Amino acid sequence: MTRRRLALVGAVLLAAACVERLTAPGHCPDFCPSGQITVVDTLLTTSINRDSAYRGYVVSYQSPVMLAAFLPDTTGTLDGRPIFRFNGFGPRLPISSVDTGQILGADSARLQLYIVRRDTATHNLRLQFYRLPTTIDTTTTFDAVAAPFTNAPVRPTVNVDTLLAQPGGKDPVTGDSVVVDTVNHRWLLSLKFDTAAARYVGTDSGAVAYGIRIAADTLASIAFGKGSVGPVLQWYLRVDSLGMPVARKPGILGTTLANFVFTPPTAPLDSTLAVGGVPSARSLLRVAFPKFIRDSSQIIRGTLFLVPAVAARGAPADSFVMEARTVLADFGRKSPIDARLDDPIVIHPGSTDTIKIEVTNMLQLWAADTTHPTVFLLRPQAEAQYFGEIHFYPSKAALRPTLQITYVKQFPFGVP
Amino acid sequence: MRPAVGIAVVAMTLLTASPRDLSAQDSQFGIRGLGTPGRWESVRARSSGGAFAPFDALSPLMEAPLADISTLTATAAGGTSHRDAQLGDTITQLRATRFPLMGVAGRVAPRLVVAGGFTTYLDRSWDVTLRDSTVLRGELERYRDEITSDGSVGDIRLAAASRLSRRLAIGAGIHILAGSTRMTAERRFDDSTFHAVGQVAEVRYDGFGVSGSVLIGVAPGLTIAGWARADNRLRAQVGDSTIALTDLPRMAGAGLLLAPSPRVRFAGSAAWRSWSNAGPGAFDTWSWSAGAEFGSGRMPIRLGVRGGQLPFGPGTKAPTEFAASAGTGRAFAQGRALIDLGVERLERRGGILTERVWTVLVGLTVRP
Repeated sequence: MTRRRLALVGAVLLAAACVERLTAPGHCPDFCPSGQITVVDTLLTTSINRDSAYRGYVVSYQSPVMLAAFLPDTTGTLDGRPIFRFNGFGPRLPISSVDTGQILGADSARLQLYIVRRDTATHNLRLQFYRLPTTIDTTTTFDAVAAPFTNAPVRPTVNVDTLLAQPGGKDPVTGDSVVVDTVNHRWLLSLKFDTAAARYVGTDSGAVAYGIRIAADTLASIAFGKGSVGPVLQWYLRVDSLGMPVARKPGILGTTLANFVFTPPTAPLDSTLAVGGVPSARSLLRVAFPKFIRDSSQIIRGTLFLVPAVAARGAPADSFVMEARTVLADFGRKSPIDARLDDPIVIHPGSTDTIKIEVTNMLQLWAADTTHPTVFLLRPQAEAQYFGEIHFYPSKAALRPTLQITYVKQFPFGVP
Repeated sequence: MRPAVGIAVVAMTLLTASPRDLSAQDSQFGIRGLGTPGRWESVRARSSGGAFAPFDALSPLMEAPLADISTLTATAAGGTSHRDAQLGDTITQLRATRFPLMGVAGRVAPRLVVAGGFTTYLDRSWDVTLRDSTVLRGELERYRDEITSDGSVGDIRLAAASRLSRRLAIGAGIHILAGSTRMTAERRFDDSTFHAVGQVAEVRYDGFGVSGSVLIGVAPGLTIAGWARADNRLRAQVGDSTIALTDLPRMAGAGLLLAPSPRVRFAGSAAWRSWSNAGPGAFDTWSWSAGAEFGSGRMPIRLGVRGGQLPFGPGTKAPTEFAASAGTGRAFAQGRALIDLGVERLERRGGILTERVWTVLVGLTVRP
């Protein structure tokens, strides 16, 4: 009997030690705390000052892509042309482990190219290849190679759509083929250059340079890969072996230069805030962050408003992503970027709509770290990979950049 | 002997498992005001409606009964409450475990007993959620607020009592009010472009009070008690800043104990507290209780009722409460350990809120 009572007592004690549940719906104001969470929304129209734009961060030859475009417009034609060069093997090629033979010429060559970006609305995409002087380099301009582009193409025009329509993507007549990489969303073109197109001049070290012009029914704007997805050339050579020509297939060559030239050239910076283009432009916006928000409130939303001074430029299909970041230190054009936070927005060429960028994370960072420079940096997410460029009104203009901040005041803890 | 020790160990473990939660019953009525006042009663007194508190040496209501303690005595109490808070048609089931009382007392001179301990002065643990909307940037934004307070204001008492004659005992005490609450305020918008808000603060409280009491044996089996207490103000601080200074009440009470035989005791008590000092929305309160204890020694039976008013609530009238309680106790180890058990049913009403509470109480007293 005693044990049973003790068990009962134990059970009661255990019941007494169970977990808490205190959450209840409030019925205000009668059964709520006297203090409430107070939200304030404010538009800071004069807090952004001393803004500036800089150009030249990434130039065309540093871009990871080669841009090609042909976009006639009422104000002019945007014409972008990839140019690239392959160094050769020189005048001689090994024909055995000890002997070399003079290179007599090329039977043919096969050029492989990756198209890494394209507009799915583009139809009848055509590529034309031109021989360029092997002296092209990173400083070569559109005008400098304009003449070679007026010569006849080195090989027949490649119609990519026609090639895609062939069984297996292979043209048995020309020997060209295309492979669609659905995983990485790119096309691999393998193009055959015959003896005339693939001219190996051994006395000139065997170097060759080509340029590409594109055309399409509409929206001719694509990007070719560089580096690991850049152009490669396979030579099929004839080499002299004791008076007898023998065929040789040396190793694949990658480019020693891969660049693109375009017209019209990028306009010089004016008083507006430029972002994008080639070479890429960035803009800095310095913010006088109000102390009353920084010190005694919690920011729940911040939006940066930017009004385009002109419609965003660029290929209509090539919308590009502009990102707002902050900097670790304000050194003007050489300000190091704080890589922790970014707030992106898509810019559509042709649009003049006001751009709204959510910058809450950066404002919260500034509020938490009062030593952090209160500077926004605007730049394209992929610099020099699009022709697109946008210009915003600066802080001296009537339609200046503004910042809208929604914040919560300090809760009145402890007030009965 | 061994089971008794086991129960004592379990009870002690449970009662001391969370010393942070030194508070009494929570109430939604305390959210808007300073909090929910504690009950300065041992489990024995509370099981009889609180009527025996003025005569109970282990209840921190009065000091004078301490004069009858002959040996070093320590006590602690714990309780868990299951509360239904009915707001209009909405009923929310709440649950809390509290440890509202701990104390030790001992004789230091033939006519002098001193005691120390703490009890809950104001409970400030609650958690309120609110669903609402507001217009932000021209759009109606729906949100959910959650504001919580976890903690209490404790009453640390140092008391002394002396029996001046067979019929007269007096006592006095000083009260240091101290405690803190961890408060949080959160808001989450349905629209995730508005980030969630979370603010936290540790609010510290302090205050001071004095009390005095007298116990008079009017006749054999008939004792009356009287007590009074004055507290100055409650200061709330966040960091180094004083956020609020709130006047605390003066209070007084009296009780009557009738013991027609050693096995039957009846008691009644009443108290008044000037809580309206605390400012708007606070009311002076009256409370009363009546109870009985039958049997003595190993397992007495205790019964009681109490009623009165709560100091904080909406409207122009103080909320009211009524409770009935019952309990028993058991002595172990030749009376060196006592366990008291009680159960209370309480109903509070005020405005559109009605609270119904079941509370299970456990008390442990040790006389080493």
